[in-house]
Amino acid sequence: MTGVSGSTLSAFVALFGMQCVALAAESPPEAVATPAANAVEVRIGAVLASNSSQDFDARLASMHRQFNTLFPYTSYRLVKEERQRVPWGGKVGFDIPGGRYVMVIPREYKNDRVSMRVMVIEGARPIVDTAVSLRDHATFLVGGPRQHEGVLILSIGADTLP
Amino acid sequence: MTCRDAVNLLPLFFDGELDANQMRSVALHSTRCGNCEDELRRMEQVQEMVSTHVNAAIDEVDFAALWRGIDQRLGTVRVSWWSRARAWWSEGEHGWMIKLPAFAAAAAVAALGFVLWTRMPASTPQPDAAVVANLDNAASIDSLESDGDAVTVVNDPETRTTVLWVSDDPPGGEGTP
Repeated sequence: MTGVSGSTLSAFVALFGMQCVALAAESPPEAVATPAANAVEVRIGAVLASNSSQDFDARLASMHRQFNTLFPYTSYRLVKEERQRVPWGGKVGFDIPGGRYVMVIPREYKNDRVSMRVMVIEGARPIVDTAVSLRDHATFLVGGPRQHEGVLILSIGADTLP
Repeated sequence: MTCRDAVNLLPLFFDGELDANQMRSVALHSTRCGNCEDELRRMEQVQEMVSTHVNAAIDEVDFAALWRGIDQRLGTVRVSWWSRARAWWSEGEHGWMIKLPAFAAAAAVAALGFVLWTRMPASTPQPDAAVVANLDNAASIDSLESDGDAVTVVNDPETRTTVLWVSDDPPGGEGTP
């Protein structure tokens, strides 16, 4: 048997131990079981975006980066904000400017993601009918419907409730 | 839409199974018709009662007792890893060629564990909802229909935000992100 000194072997094993610890420290945490969520709060914000001024509504501070990065407008004004609690499978409706109507039906909560059906209805036609899933507490945007001198941008999100 | 039309659609409306036009029609009708609105409210109450009772029944199930029952029937003797390690160490058949590296590895792991533990923050503050919303707003779109001329789905990696842009203009037109 080839001789390997004890100190060399010790060094190898110590190095291996350090690698294991480093890997363990870097690896992502194990998936956490999604806690039961009995209901969900759907929130919606209607923002009027335009180039009519340089005003940015202070209430939209948390979305400042998104708006400035994603859209070519200079002015953003929150014209409506509403939250509604709803059981899973239930539906909530929101009237939004321009005689439009948003209906949201939260479907399920799985792997920290909320699945829901979202419909934006203008007159008699659904301008958006989509099934989306997004992280709990996250927000996605629906934009484009013309409103006065600008466009309407809707922020739609959901927060699970214990 | 009349009551006669609406009444057959109410259960489907309640389950969200109608198409968007019918959803809109039934929703509008129910806001103006007391009978249909009452019917919808009754459905909601029934759903809530069923949900409450089912959840209560689930909460009453004692899964701990179930596991205890299984555990008793397993009948195996469990030896902790620490006991196994001690037994291995005291067997005396291993020379210091093996023991010394094992000891060094254990010491290294313990030292690094201690360093990592001491460098960890005392507690991790829970970010509030607004902060979380800023972190990852990417949505996955499972289906998308529209009566508009064009719908553009934008997933911006920089802000991790998803935008559905509805436009009467062609894609890439004014305002499209």
